[in-house]
Amino acid sequence: MFVARSIAADHKDLIHDVSYDFHGRRMATCSSDQSVKVWDKSENGEWHCTASWKTHSGSVWRVTWAHPEFGQVLASCSFDRTAAVWEEIVGESNDKQRGLSHWIKRTTLVDSRTSVTDVKFAPKHMGLMLTTCSADGVVRIYEAPDVMNLSQWSLQHEISCKLSCSCISWNPSSSRAHPAMFAVGSDDSNVTYGGKVQIYEYNENTRKYAKAETLMTVTDAVHDIAFAPNLGRSFHVLAIATKDVRIFKLVPMRKESTSTGPTKFEVQIVAQFDNHNSQVWRVSWNITSTLLASSGDDGCVRLWKANYMDNWKCTGILKGDGSPLTGSSVRTDNLQCLTLTGTAAAH
Amino acid sequence: MEKMSRVTTALSSSAVSGRTMFCHLDAPANAISVCRDATQVVVAGRNIFKIYALEEEQFVEKLNLRVGRKPSLNFSCADVMWHQMEENLLATAATNGAVVTWNLGKPSRNKQDQLFTEHKRTVNKVCFHPTEVYMLLSGSQDGFMKCFDLRKKESVSTFSGQSESVRDVQFSMKDYFTFAASFENGNVQLWDIRRPDRYERMFTAHTGPVFCCDWHPDDRGWLATGGRDKMVKVWDMTTNRAKEIYCVQTIASVARVKWRPERKFHLATCSMMVDHNIYVWDVRRPFIPFATFEEHKDVTTGIVWRHQHDPHFLLSGSKDSTLYQHMFRDATRPVDKANPEGLCFGLFGDLAFAAKESLISSDANRKPYPGGDRRYPIFFFKKPDPTEQFAHVSSALSVFETDLDSNRMDWFVKTAQLYLLSGKPFAELCDHNAKVAQELKRPQVSTTWTMLRIMFSDPANLTTPGPNHNLSKLGTLPLMNSFSMKEMGSVMGTESRLDRSKGESRQDNILLEPGNPHISNNNEENEETEGSEGQAEYMFGDAELDDDDLYSMEHDNQTEEQEYTLPQEAFQLRHEIMDNPSAPEHLQQDKADSPHVSGNEAEVTCLTPIESFSLISISQPLFSPHLPASFFCPIVREMLSYYAEQGDVQMAVSVLIVLGDRIRKEIDDLTQEHWYMSYIDLLQRFELWNVSNEVIKLSTCSAITCLNQASTTLHINCSNCKRPMSNKGWICDRCHQCASVCAVCHHVVKGLFVWCQGCSHGGHLEHIMNWLKSSAHCPAGCGHLYVTRLW
Repeated sequence: MFVARSIAADHKDLIHDVSYDFHGRRMATCSSDQSVKVWDKSENGEWHCTASWKTHSGSVWRVTWAHPEFGQVLASCSFDRTAAVWEEIVGESNDKQRGLSHWIKRTTLVDSRTSVTDVKFAPKHMGLMLTTCSADGVVRIYEAPDVMNLSQWSLQHEISCKLSCSCISWNPSSSRAHPAMFAVGSDDSNVTYGGKVQIYEYNENTRKYAKAETLMTVTDAVHDIAFAPNLGRSFHVLAIATKDVRIFKLVPMRKESTSTGPTKFEVQIVAQFDNHNSQVWRVSWNITSTLLASSGDDGCVRLWKANYMDNWKCTGILKGDGSPLTGSSVRTDNLQCLTLTGTAAAH
Repeated sequence: MEKMSRVTTALSSSAVSGRTMFCHLDAPANAISVCRDATQVVVAGRNIFKIYALEEEQFVEKLNLRVGRKPSLNFSCADVMWHQMEENLLATAATNGAVVTWNLGKPSRNKQDQLFTEHKRTVNKVCFHPTEVYMLLSGSQDGFMKCFDLRKKESVSTFSGQSESVRDVQFSMKDYFTFAASFENGNVQLWDIRRPDRYERMFTAHTGPVFCCDWHPDDRGWLATGGRDKMVKVWDMTTNRAKEIYCVQTIASVARVKWRPERKFHLATCSMMVDHNIYVWDVRRPFIPFATFEEHKDVTTGIVWRHQHDPHFLLSGSKDSTLYQHMFRDATRPVDKANPEGLCFGLFGDLAFAAKESLISSDANRKPYPGGDRRYPIFFFKKPDPTEQFAHVSSALSVFETDLDSNRMDWFVKTAQLYLLSGKPFAELCDHNAKVAQELKRPQVSTTWTMLRIMFSDPANLTTPGPNHNLSKLGTLPLMNSFSMKEMGSVMGTESRLDRSKGESRQDNILLEPGNPHISNNNEENEETEGSEGQAEYMFGDAELDDDDLYSMEHDNQTEEQEYTLPQEAFQLRHEIMDNPSAPEHLQQDKADSPHVSGNEAEVTCLTPIESFSLISISQPLFSPHLPASFFCPIVREMLSYYAEQGDVQMAVSVLIVLGDRIRKEIDDLTQEHWYMSYIDLLQRFELWNVSNEVIKLSTCSAITCLNQASTTLHINCSNCKRPMSNKGWICDRCHQCASVCAVCHHVVKGLFVWCQGCSHGGHLEHIMNWLKSSAHCPAGCGHLYVTRLW
């Protein structure tokens, strides 16, 4: 069972993103009120806001943590067409702001001409790299050549996806057998354009990112996209939040040593759930990628889990305010998984 | 005034008509203005001065006011205003400092009426009095504002702001004598038209230039100002001091601001650089635009609402040489694309969830889904006018935590800490790890370890139990054989039937092996068992239930060994008692998870512990001495892949390390490396640094072991003189003192030395830890404040 712990966030407008750090002890939230807040978990499990500052001059869409190897570093992106990198400075706090840490802006990335809709650090093994995507359909990959100097970022790649981008996700696999790869989702609502999820892969020979796959079956606006933690798998699992929740499996096909093109994938859709009855806004994987959480316009979080036959099932529904879900809004086929027991804990 | 009200009624009868449309201009526009009845619009710029008629479907050019072969600079307009009462009267502000009025009623081609050349520099703004026909006001770069009576040749009064350039002047809509002026130094002044000697009031509205201001059309006290500081502020001017009541932060400097008609809290803005869009804001929700018009390709220079009582149409001119009519219905609504929820899984299985409060509040105030048809696409559903819903939005943040008992990742941390990966004989490692898995209630993993031990143990190490006793149960042997294979099958879960049949064929190989009388004896029976494969499979497919017995049996074998001690047995028994009743529980869970298995529940339960007990105790000595360990490698390889693909890379790596050379060459290096990397990454996430280090050390992949060899050098400063130490020894080159003196006990530290990177002081790990329990400052007395979280 889950216990809901409500936190007085005190953001003055919508919260658009929540993000845990690498070790799960810190949390960052960002909001339309142009601020980012950092929360630290105390010994007794309470969350305390240790920093809150104005980051942008527009809605802050996303906030994300860098690997702690690079320090306590956050990146944020905003409607104001910029992305920013922040670093925490500890030890200079005076008495007035006791318990509050300082976050210093290390850089502002101003290349986009439209709202920057997502920002993600690349997997650690690729170095300190940051990716942004923007509403005009451009994905930008920046690199900090000197990891000690967070104020210097060079724009390495600029990839045009043609469609307005809403979200981006890196394939976290660190295997040398898997070239660097990311997926971009588009929130373009014109269903006739098709293929709202594109997958790009790095090509060692051309030193460029090239499109490896377009998921043509995803035709509706995509709001969130998440690769599952890889953990030694030979294939990749991708969760997509669109008008429903979808889980795709990308199995790399064996490559002839001579071919230099992008990897071909066998794309399988392993699950598709419309239980939210409406737009799905977020998907998130647990650390072992055995559990997927999704949240939609119905205000609920739903948990999905595969059994050993790779059949995905709903294993729990959480109401946003922690209250148990009552009958009216639940369809009968969900009744069996109303409560969070057994299966999830059996692991 | 009568005229105006008549126009209003005329408009309301025709309601909303027209569409989003545009036309190309010959040159960039600087300003636009619309005539009172919203039928015509004038566009003015450096090289353009034209009147367009607003028709239903398009703009139609009516008149070009820019006449003459070489037009004078008087035609180069910075601003234009159409008189709101006299429909033939226009005024322009010229870049050369001239204020020009135009009379469209003139019969000649040149409509120029009056020319005032009193300003020394560019005139930024002209403004007609809203009710007084002949009164015109101008504001100029030279810092002066002038009021003209159009019946006279010269200005009637001059207002000196006593500060910098005037950027905007606006007559109050309600106070006959009042006008506001904004300045480049950030000030806003309020003037009485009758008192040119000094302003009524002045306040600093913005940091940097105030480019524009606009009086609220209905609320007499409200003035909106926009500045280079990217802000729009709404001031209540009715109080003694101007009070800021709203502040909107935009993303670029604000060039124009215009209140939206009939919508008390809405205003439109555009920027003079970078940003080409026009935003309509609800000042009550100052963070996110209510609507956006994104048509222009260059800076928008002029915006005006088409009619002073019509909130649906906005006209705009731009540097991209286009004139647009925007229809509010076609505006993009950023808030529709704005994500109302945030969701993130934490490391420990906790979920952080933030959602718009209206989404998660009780169903009472929620719209039911249209028609109850879940397939109805929500985005086609026409939302009710969102105007009312826009203000006061907030999100609720909560963290869902798993109960401590079922904390999902505890098993991972405990397993990582308790597993033994090296330092003992193989069999003991397996036993230990099986026990660890057992205690953490992971029967499948436990069974796997036990089987690995069975498969790979060196036969010589195993003591053979009394053969007579076991042989008496020969009849069950084939079943036993198939058991081990099926068991593997179940461990591998979804492996295809093909694999299973492979397993069968391997089994045949076993049978064909010479010198195994027991097995060949039972050849027939074995085939019989194969015939009833399904049954056997289900029987053992759920073998997790019986592994308690399997496990205890293992220990039973050990009873023959020398090291056997009584407490162990006691422990053993407690296990059986404790675990057996829990078996049905497992069963229930599995049932929920996988109906395939539950169908054969009866068969599973019919296998009593005693039976399986005997089965297994026989099996071990029987086949292991005759099967080379390499025989199992393919199956173990598949099993490891299975674990990895189920998200349990821990098992894959642990087995890989424990089995070592027995399995290593079976798995390609890339995969191994991938597993190691994944597992190490996980361990580091959970801050299990010691385990991570052990894994790195024990790995045989060169790419992994080198992780431990990179950056092993620490550069430190001398605790005495604070200068960098050379790389030889602990004696500082410069001050010839020992750098590793403990700041607490003042002895030289040998062994673990911990120091602060900030002040270079440090000492024995224990001493420093004790010290920091009572004090946050450096023990050396240097005053450096330690932040305990770092330690």
